[in-house]
Amino acid sequence: MSGAQNQTYSALHDVELAAHAAAGDRRAFGELVRRHSSGVRGLLRRMGASPAAADDVAQDAFLAAFESVTDYRGEGTFAGWVKRIAARLYLRRLQKEKRLADLAQEVEDEFIPPADPDAAGRIDLDEAMKGLGEAERLCVSMCYGAGLSHGEAADALNLPLGTVKSHVKRGLEKLRARLAPGSGAEAEGRRVNG
Amino acid sequence: MADEFERRLERLFGEAPFFADAEVFAQGIEQRLDRGWNIRSVLIGTAGLMGGVVGVSQLLMSNFFQRMGEASEGSARALEVGVAKITPQVELMSMVSGDWGVVSLAGVTALFAMVFVLSRFIDEI
Repeated sequence: MSGAQNQTYSALHDVELAAHAAAGDRRAFGELVRRHSSGVRGLLRRMGASPAAADDVAQDAFLAAFESVTDYRGEGTFAGWVKRIAARLYLRRLQKEKRLADLAQEVEDEFIPPADPDAAGRIDLDEAMKGLGEAERLCVSMCYGAGLSHGEAADALNLPLGTVKSHVKRGLEKLRARLAPGSGAEAEGRRVNG
Repeated sequence: MADEFERRLERLFGEAPFFADAEVFAQGIEQRLDRGWNIRSVLIGTAGLMGGVVGVSQLLMSNFFQRMGEASEGSARALEVGVAKITPQVELMSMVSGDWGVVSLAGVTALFAMVFVLSRFIDEI
């Protein structure tokens, strides 16, 4: 890609790039990938995917997004739209691996430590997510990372709405305990993934 | 209603982590898109070419050109008579009458179509 063309694309808004991509402009879609791939890969890892699986699913999600980019009409962010595609693809993968069936039966009587206001106890979101059970991690990241409502998450996970709500509630309690106030953004900015 | 912590959590999820290989990842997707597009172009081109070959062979097998020649000869003669009544000196229709007129016209059209397909294909690559 030429530098001038690159500059033109980088000046465009996501909605404009999506319109170009809908007309078959693959370079415009490449710019969208550049802007949002890290967010999508990060979300998938937070959902519990291994780095390799997260990259696979993210790649499939972007290819699927290109195929159906005409469906994106600028309602909501492009990042949110792709993240929802990626989250659903990851769930489908889990279903194939028969890992979703266990989610409804996760132990519920785990001890939740109280909130830690001490700065020394600060950890970033990725670390905090690792302390959640698989179902909690999926439910929290789908609702707060992919922007799905509890109902949509319940449909996607094929779980009762009440179960999803309780997974989200417990997950939030754990995160609240692990993420001390003011720790998130700074720690997040420092984190380097490879 | 979302409390302060939930808003903060949404903000944290919204912040993309840094990936050192982000550019390589994006290029990988672009390459896959390009490859898919090229394969699609080749398939469409091949299907068009095969369709053209089958169509032409069917026409040849059904003596289409001979029948067209006969038909066009007849109609050209009729037209020529009509035109001759208006402009007795002009014999334009004789230029395209007969077998060779029709065949050469069909050949030129086919050539244009193939050049168009080929140019689209080269453009996509």
